[in-house]
Amino acid sequence: MVEIVRMEKITKIYPGTVALDKVDFFLNEGEILSLLGENGAGKSTLMKILYGLTDPTSGDVYYHGEKINFRRPVDAIEKGICMVHQHFMLVPAFTVTENIIAGSEPGKNGFVDMRRARKEVRDLISQFKFNIDPDTKVENLSVGEQQRVEILKVLYRKADVIILDEPTAVLTPQEVDDLFVILRRLRAEGKSITIITHKLKETIALADRVMILRDGKLIRDDVDPSKVSTNQLSEMMVGREVDLQERRPAKNIGDVSLHVEGLTVEEDGKKKVNNVSLDVKAGEILGIAGVEGNGQTQLIEALTGLRRVDSMELLLNGEKITGASDGFLRAGIAHVPEDRLSMGLVKEMSIKENMILGYHREDDCCDRRGVLKRKEINDKGNRLKDQFLVKAPNVDAKIDELSGGNQQKVVIARAFSHNPKAIIIAHPTRGVDIGAMEYIHQQMIELRDKGAAILLISADLDEVKTLSDRLLIMFEGEIVSETMPGELTDIEMGLLMTGGHSMIEGE
Amino acid sequence: MIDFDTGLVISILASTLRRTVPLLLAATGGAFSMRSGVIDLGLEGMMLAGSFFSVMGAWMTGSPWMGLLFGVVFGIVFSMLHAVMHINYKVNGSISGMAVNLLAAAMTPLLLTIVYGLSGKSEIVTSFSNFDPDWLMGIPFLGPILGSQNVIFFIAMALVIISWIFMFKTTLGLRMRMVGENPHAASAVGLNVKAYKYFGVAMSGALAGLGGAYLSLGQMGMFVKDMTAGRGYIAVVINAFGRYNPFGALAGSAFFGFFDALQTIFQSVFPSQLVMMTPYVVTILVIVFGLKGGRSPAGTGKHVEE
Repeated sequence: MVEIVRMEKITKIYPGTVALDKVDFFLNEGEILSLLGENGAGKSTLMKILYGLTDPTSGDVYYHGEKINFRRPVDAIEKGICMVHQHFMLVPAFTVTENIIAGSEPGKNGFVDMRRARKEVRDLISQFKFNIDPDTKVENLSVGEQQRVEILKVLYRKADVIILDEPTAVLTPQEVDDLFVILRRLRAEGKSITIITHKLKETIALADRVMILRDGKLIRDDVDPSKVSTNQLSEMMVGREVDLQERRPAKNIGDVSLHVEGLTVEEDGKKKVNNVSLDVKAGEILGIAGVEGNGQTQLIEALTGLRRVDSMELLLNGEKITGASDGFLRAGIAHVPEDRLSMGLVKEMSIKENMILGYHREDDCCDRRGVLKRKEINDKGNRLKDQFLVKAPNVDAKIDELSGGNQQKVVIARAFSHNPKAIIIAHPTRGVDIGAMEYIHQQMIELRDKGAAILLISADLDEVKTLSDRLLIMFEGEIVSETMPGELTDIEMGLLMTGGHSMIEGE
Repeated sequence: MIDFDTGLVISILASTLRRTVPLLLAATGGAFSMRSGVIDLGLEGMMLAGSFFSVMGAWMTGSPWMGLLFGVVFGIVFSMLHAVMHINYKVNGSISGMAVNLLAAAMTPLLLTIVYGLSGKSEIVTSFSNFDPDWLMGIPFLGPILGSQNVIFFIAMALVIISWIFMFKTTLGLRMRMVGENPHAASAVGLNVKAYKYFGVAMSGALAGLGGAYLSLGQMGMFVKDMTAGRGYIAVVINAFGRYNPFGALAGSAFFGFFDALQTIFQSVFPSQLVMMTPYVVTILVIVFGLKGGRSPAGTGKHVEE
């Protein structure tokens, strides 16, 4: 095998922390390398050095045996090292073609040759069987398709080495499968691929070789994914045993706590949620699995009072709840929203302020005249920060400065600490690392065992399967199946999630 | 009362075109600024600077062409104030734009006093005459309308076409629009984001300066204090109304120009205070009803850390 990239004794010191400590790295031609590590392990920093986004404090980088020193990403792109960023670098208002060519346009005399551009893009799309229309605007594409546009951008620039930063973080399970097909196809074309990830199953499914970083140090760079289990990998990554697959079923399921009947939400003339009824019992986790965009968002927003519904009867412990979201909160229905940064947190505000958002009018935060109690809020912030293991210098730190996992812990701390009777939790561990994931799962189970009714909506099949005491599957706004976890295989669940329920029922 | 005959129609349309030109130039300039991701709230000040310095240039050199050049150059100079504050020092673009407007509003009367020793208005300078060759005047209807325009009108029309071609057909135009839509994406493919923003703002200064020059030098041959009278702000609205497209700016400016022209003609019929409100009332109506569904470039006001 030909070695294409080699990095020797890379050290990167940020003020106060050693991000990378004498890390060696190599990438062979035509392989898929999984660079595995928790958030903050240094994997992104290492790739940023290769890509020219930041300089190493010490250490050398070789490309095709030649020592290189990229000053800017453009230098790397010119040599054929390209990166697909986690947050897409696309212009939603441009067409696919425009997005791909911008910056390296075909044409002469300063004019863009759109005909040639379109043809080149079309050829690329058909060469790699990407199945997107080069003339649609990117804003009309799904997340998975947008990612394909990002990959096309890289291919258009004749990349030999492709770095993908957390490529599956925003994808649905189906889109992940599609992505893997694409990446294998790229490998077959001789491209060398590195994926930065902390997902173990995906690593095992995709990679040829696994390299593991922990706390800025290289742990292993020669793991053969076909010879290890996810447990072994997570142990190498976290440094201790982690078990995410262990089920801890509820022991004390009580009476119906949250009763929803006849929920219908119309949007743009379509019934996004169609006559859904469900019950969540006290001390139970009810999981809802489904491909995103099948009404989950509307369901969540209806059950938390964020959206006007066309019809719904919602009873919490027998009491009818109506009105706006603050009424729902006060009645005891807490919410862990789908997207923590856009709905769960104000990222410019401090940890302690975020800890009380939505509950800031309660007596422990606010006096009768409407003045916030500074000391109490500060104490409360500190208490929750310690209790929920939020890693941050102090409670005045801005949410912005925290990792995804710690941000999510702030959301969880706020919602869980108010002893909700019922709670709607959406994608609780999206984009957080294994340590935080394990912790959040544990907290959810504790809350359940304290008698809360939990409705869990997640695109992560493993998560719903492991945590749920009862499992619903949602497709096109309807509940298409109700089972106990373990009754269905992954394949059956996948079929139900994509509208194949009639096939299964017909068996 | 007014008789509605051909003569009146011609005079309304000719007047419409004259009133379109300054709005059109400023709005097209604004399109450059907005497309590069910088808000165009400084148009009023750049226009006012253009109208003052073009007259001063013509007064100093005796040539209206030199005056025009002065107007354009000082439009750019004033725009650079906005650019440096916003692009380099990351001042909120609305604030740095307003700073330009305030500076121009304060500076031009001061310079009037210093340069001419006059308050309120400047001396009269040589201006452009109408472009009215016999062959043009011979064309029925269209001839007298176009024949009562000066050379800046024709320059403005050419600039609209050139600007459109630049924005939508050239490499640099595509890149400038990319910067305006998503500066991070632009930076990631190696574009110099700041340079494109500077270019966009400079173009807005140049075109707004030219628009201002048309008002003073092109129409009256002199500068009058506060003579832009909010046209720069109206251009901001027109630009949004025209979806940041030079041809959209043309349509929008003609729409406003028409109401502005009607206003002068109906002043003899209705109370003039009421009639003079028309362009501003139309502006408000456009803001309320005409901007729906339009959206400004997504990267407006965003910076890239380098």
